Amino acid sequence: MRVTPWFVPLAVVVAAAAGVGGARLFTAPSYVRAYAAAAAHPGTGTRDPVTSHFVVAGLRCVDTARTMAGLLDEVPGVIRCECFASRNEARVTFDPGVTTPATLKEAIEGPVYDSTSFRFEYGLYRVLRMDGRDVANGAEG
Amino acid sequence: MPRVSRSPVKFVRAALQWGTVGACLVVGIRYARGASLTSVERYCPFGGLETLGALITKRSFSCATGETNLALFLALVALTVVSRKAFCGWVCPVGTLSEAIRAIQNRLQWFRPPWTMSGPADQALRWVRLPILAIILYFTYKTGELVFRGYDPYYILFSAHGHDVKAWSYGILAGILILTAVVPMGWCRYLCPLGGALWPLSRAGILRIRRDGATCTDCGRCDRSCPQSIPVSRERDVVSGECTLCLECIEACPSKSVLALSTPGGFRA
Repeated sequence: MRVTPWFVPLAVVVAAAAGVGGARLFTAPSYVRAYAAAAAHPGTGTRDPVTSHFVVAGLRCVDTARTMAGLLDEVPGVIRCECFASRNEARVTFDPGVTTPATLKEAIEGPVYDSTSFRFEYGLYRVLRMDGRDVANGAEG
Repeated sequence: MPRVSRSPVKFVRAALQWGTVGACLVVGIRYARGASLTSVERYCPFGGLETLGALITKRSFSCATGETNLALFLALVALTVVSRKAFCGWVCPVGTLSEAIRAIQNRLQWFRPPWTMSGPADQALRWVRLPILAIILYFTYKTGELVFRGYDPYYILFSAHGHDVKAWSYGILAGILILTAVVPMGWCRYLCPLGGALWPLSRAGILRIRRDGATCTDCGRCDRSCPQSIPVSRERDVVSGECTLCLECIEACPSKSVLALSTPGGFRA
């Protein structure tokens, strides 16, 4: 059966739209860390864990996700961090009786120790959005 | 004097190709300037293939790849099953630039290679893509990093000197462009790992160019117009895994009825 040549560009456009739009069907993290500190700081035990969503500039791959998650190591009350590098997003689950999203933001934006140069590096990560709110310019935090 | 015509379909193909190049440039420059968090890597379907192993075994994406890469790759697989390597001929920005180099050479009569790669040598060299693909997939899976990013012409061209692009990356890009000038579509035909991955799927593609041998005058214009150097005039059905359904052969044919896009059942002219 003859097919109109217009079928080819139509198929290309449909495939591109399905590819970009279909991304919503898949969700998998690039990096996940569960924190031992959460067990050491059991918290108040009176409130359920809460998950905060952060959009973080600098979170772009598994390596940067691992480093960023490491910044939360010493924050009491942090239970779990899931990083989605392609979306620059981190979901941090914590005990609200022990810590707050603002504390987490501060920790994420904190200095990172570079073991090769033996120096602290500043400004590697910047929280742009926190739980849907724009916090890029220090408007909130 | 070559026939000069510009069919609406050809115009749409050029618009899609150059629209993609423009979109990639905008995304790359915005990311490099800090105006956006979206890198050009996000729209590379090959990233979906690279991360497939990690996703199946580790339930996580590799390096900077993510949902969009995977969804684009799956859509590309579906497109290839239907329309062969239409992605390469209608969307891929590296393919567009390769075609542009070929067009400039033809237009200016400047360094047009006197040879055409075809026959057994051409067929043998096309297999080179498969070990390249295997090496990239293996090391990406083992390290969890996009370790070949600095060698990727798409990333070097459109990331605006992105992460992992070093001085030698531009040397590699220059080498690829020189190869493309010396061997038309050299990167696509012999080195592109995504092209290698799509090859078997494309060969089984549903749509094909069908030639009506009874009315064909064997003028050979279709052969000369094919960017992939497929000998269209010697085929009844063009079922080559390299066909991008660019429709250049149909455009070049002096008869309206000899070549047509067709399903496997075909048509009788």
